Amino acid sequence: MNAGMGFKLSHWQSLVLFAVLISIAFGFLSRRRPIDRVKYIVWSLFLFLLIGVGIGWAMYPFSH
Amino acid sequence: MADETAAAAPPHDSRREAIAFFIGVAGWLVPGLGHALLKMWGRAVMCFVTVGLLVILGAGMRGNVFSSSGNDAFDTLGFLADLGTGTFYLAARSLEINGADVSHAGGDYGTRFLATAGVLNLLAALHAYEAARGRKA
Repeated sequence: MNAGMGFKLSHWQSLVLFAVLISIAFGFLSRRRPIDRVKYIVWSLFLFLLIGVGIGWAMYPFSH
Repeated sequence: MADETAAAAPPHDSRREAIAFFIGVAGWLVPGLGHALLKMWGRAVMCFVTVGLLVILGAGMRGNVFSSSGNDAFDTLGFLADLGTGTFYLAARSLEINGADVSHAGGDYGTRFLATAGVLNLLAALHAYEAARGRKA
């Protein structure tokens, strides 16, 4: 693989990918039992997306 | 008095510290290796896969892989963050044969992906170090 194959991702795709990967990593590192991990991952992912979209909308007026 | 206390410390404590340090460094050099040495297989695989994916995506999106010859403090911070991926830093440099392109949003995201991979790996290595010391798991 090389950069010539470069990934073309939209803002939303990048945000979701980032949120999923980091949520999984945090869930595995901070929780031991599988059910606790799943809960943590889902909650963390939800907050990542909510805050990301929230900040996006908060910046919207400045782009016009 | 302090010297006497240190001298009286059980020898296996210093040995345990040395092993924990080795595990921490191993976890930094190869993402997941620290946890693998502690037989924490789930966490080991997770570290390797997530850090690896972040590096591949970051380099594929033509993010900036900072070098040691930075022009300012932010470049140096970026280099330290990227260096956190251990040997994957070399992989990121070799993947980006066309160099960085941060003139579009994808490249900017790529830069963040690479930096996050490094910081995440440092966090995982620190976790493995602490687990090896018996502080948490």
